[in-house]
Amino acid sequence: MSARYDAIVIGAGHNGLVAAAVLARKGKKVLVLEARDHLGGMLGDPDFRVAPQPYALRPEIARVLQLDQKRLHGAKPVETLAISSEGAPLSIIGGQVSGTDAITEHDYATFHARLGRQAQALGVMMLQSPPGLGKASFGEMAGLARMALKMRLLGKTEMRDLLRIILSNAWDLLNDEIGDGPLAGVLAMDATLGGAMGPRSPGTVLSLLYRMASQSSHGHGLRVMPEGGPDALVKALSHCVTSADGEIRTGAPVARILVDQDKAAGVRLHSGEEIAAPLVLSNASPKFTLMTLLGVEHLDGEFVRRCRNMASKGMVSRLDFDIGEMPPLHHGGKIEHGQRLVFAPTMEVIETAFNAAKYGEMPERPVFEATYDAAAKRLCVTAQFTPHDLKGGWTDDSKSKLARSVMAALEDALPGLSSGITGSRVMSPVDIETGYGASGGHWHHGELRVDQLLMLRPFDGAAQYRMPVKGVYLCGAGAHPGGDISGAPGFNAARTALRDGGH
Amino acid sequence: MATKAKPIAQVALGLEPGPFHERLVAHNRQQSWVNWMGYASPSVLDNVEFEYFAIRNQSTLFDISPMCKYAITGPDAETVVNRLVTRDIRKLKPGRVAYCIWCDEDGNVVDDGTVFRLSETEFRLCCQEPQLSWLEDIAWGFDVSISDVTRDIAGLALQGPTSCALLKDLGLAGIETLKTFGIAGFEIAGSVVTISRTGFTGDLGYELWIRPADALKVWDALMGAGKLRGLRVIGYEALEMARIEAGFLLPKVDFLSAQTVLRADRANTPYELGLEWLVALDKPHFNGRRALVDLSKQTPRRKLVAIEIERDKPAHNALVYHRKNREVGMVTSALWSPTCKRNIAYAWLDAPYGQSVTDDLWVEIYLQKEIRWQRRMVRCKLVDKPFFAHPRRTATPPADH
Repeated sequence: MSARYDAIVIGAGHNGLVAAAVLARKGKKVLVLEARDHLGGMLGDPDFRVAPQPYALRPEIARVLQLDQKRLHGAKPVETLAISSEGAPLSIIGGQVSGTDAITEHDYATFHARLGRQAQALGVMMLQSPPGLGKASFGEMAGLARMALKMRLLGKTEMRDLLRIILSNAWDLLNDEIGDGPLAGVLAMDATLGGAMGPRSPGTVLSLLYRMASQSSHGHGLRVMPEGGPDALVKALSHCVTSADGEIRTGAPVARILVDQDKAAGVRLHSGEEIAAPLVLSNASPKFTLMTLLGVEHLDGEFVRRCRNMASKGMVSRLDFDIGEMPPLHHGGKIEHGQRLVFAPTMEVIETAFNAAKYGEMPERPVFEATYDAAAKRLCVTAQFTPHDLKGGWTDDSKSKLARSVMAALEDALPGLSSGITGSRVMSPVDIETGYGASGGHWHHGELRVDQLLMLRPFDGAAQYRMPVKGVYLCGAGAHPGGDISGAPGFNAARTALRDGGH
Repeated sequence: MATKAKPIAQVALGLEPGPFHERLVAHNRQQSWVNWMGYASPSVLDNVEFEYFAIRNQSTLFDISPMCKYAITGPDAETVVNRLVTRDIRKLKPGRVAYCIWCDEDGNVVDDGTVFRLSETEFRLCCQEPQLSWLEDIAWGFDVSISDVTRDIAGLALQGPTSCALLKDLGLAGIETLKTFGIAGFEIAGSVVTISRTGFTGDLGYELWIRPADALKVWDALMGAGKLRGLRVIGYEALEMARIEAGFLLPKVDFLSAQTVLRADRANTPYELGLEWLVALDKPHFNGRRALVDLSKQTPRRKLVAIEIERDKPAHNALVYHRKNREVGMVTSALWSPTCKRNIAYAWLDAPYGQSVTDDLWVEIYLQKEIRWQRRMVRCKLVDKPFFAHPRRTATPPADH
């Protein structure tokens, strides 16, 4: 087995593609191995995408990879509609709300701008390798120092405010600032989306700020859909790999990471084929990478324990409804292509849905976001608090029960919707787990929680992309800075591997 | 009229009676007990000098039932034990015992103990500290079953020069062919007894592993046969003297388990403990290996050394100085060795003392003479362990004494 490649990237999710592109552009001979028959991981399957919503690929990464930024980031920011049964939906773009009174609009704008500034200060660490606990390098400490400086530059009042709220919960903060209602519902949804936390869970302010720290050309927290949709983004990234002489193979699931003399030696595919490389980056979740692909025999017992205990209980299900034309909203108005519809009328509703999921039960009334894809004639729903460990398991019955309850909520806002449905599909957290190498079916490969961020992401002792076996790196959402379609984990991991050199 | 209250039977110690407790109570003239893993264990039964000299001149019985014992069995048992300990356990044949240490991910020693290989797929681990959760962490993901068998097996240490002769008197055919660190099955008083030629005294001796239900029967048979062999029941204090002479370390006295320390720098590596001979860095991955590879290239921050001290007063809790003025370490275990006629101790010395600097070391000993305390600076020198080594420990067959 001779090494034909300098590096193998497991998984052609966006992070894997970013990592491969960074390596390939530095002259490394890279092979990307993808288990599925499409590229792009959770955003890549045109038939049923896990992540159909707009993205927040870091502009810095697009710049470094010389992607077509106008195509990727040129679109207008997406409008969010906060749907409630009380009245007409509120329209939100960033800090701007319309459809409510002038005072609320002003309060929301002020509040949103303040959170944005605070989020930006935290965001300094996003493209940095987090400092090591105990033995941090100068560069890593400089990153932390920059974040501290940024926080200080917020001014005394806002810095103090940030330190006051950072570990608290979204429920208290939003009740203090804007009161419960559709606006708070949208922000609380942002704070909890994908995670196993309700608005009342401690640390949800941090996860809200974390989401707002993502950047687009329109400012903090905003997401844009690339021109040409998700496929265009995937294509741009994969082109970036192949044009730098990187290879990509689909339908090539990896069974094992091969280790020789405590160093990465390559991978073995399910087909039995072995491919040698001294550097292996895995875009799969940390648990799957370490326990299944690498194997516990290469790891210390304490490390394995921390990995096992990592919180990664998936809560998100995806539902697609085929529909020719969207009916008008109950309170008037039309749904347009690409709008983000949030069905979380109050924080109370979100918390109630979470209560059931905590104990492995399906909520009576799930909260969800939806978007209508006019080209595919499809309503894509992302439903929250449908637990991975559902009591009784994810049977066809439980899936159709979920579809019914989502449809009931949709029908309230969009009367006549159900009669136009010609087909539907449900993807449970278990399906996401088996389909995408994400343990627990967790979107972010691990809860975005204060004890699983920065130098503790994915867990203590595994935080800087490099794993205990030399040459093995994590480059997926499980690594810092975490989930979302930001590309940052892949980017940081590849740069760390390049810095380490010697592979 | 009020009736007189009946005297209530006292719960004397709040300690659990072990399988030999009935006999130990009968022999224990001092009624002096210590807590060993929740069991009542005698510290001295009669007189520590008699008990100590019986170890070196006759034979002795010590109840080791409280020792933690774990059964590790299954197809992956060898892999798991090899993953746990720093020695290459693949080289340990069935029917043999190995002294081992195991480390955490930072390369600090968690505990030491003996690994018994009963068959290809059955191991037993004997150690001082409870290790069940640690073992379960190490074994996670492997096809192996781990159970705490501490209470399922009674243990007796039969140690001393006449111990082999005593067992022969009991009719144990072939006991004299059992080599050091060997295991074999025998029958005493109609009960099945597993005997290993192991011990904590550095002398000729055996450890007997018995079903708790048979414990008293076997005890009585041994005591009966021991009359002419000078058999004496001993307590912890006499054993402690023998173990220092024999060069064995005691957790909680000479070093602390990495799992129990509050201050991170109090944990110790095998290199600091002088146990590098137990670390097989060339075997497949085991717990702490990567840290140990790094540590093996560094000078230990401190070292546990064996020292011999001038004059006769034991250096309990003494500080060690270089050139009488610079404090460089401390004594953990100290003894005037009655058999070696030497004043011996183990001491921690901070680097470079005890490693590149070994001369001009002094021990500060405090002596009380009729209320008045005196301070005495005495010269000490580094020596090799063990302090006491006798050919009869390993002679096969052992001579009749």
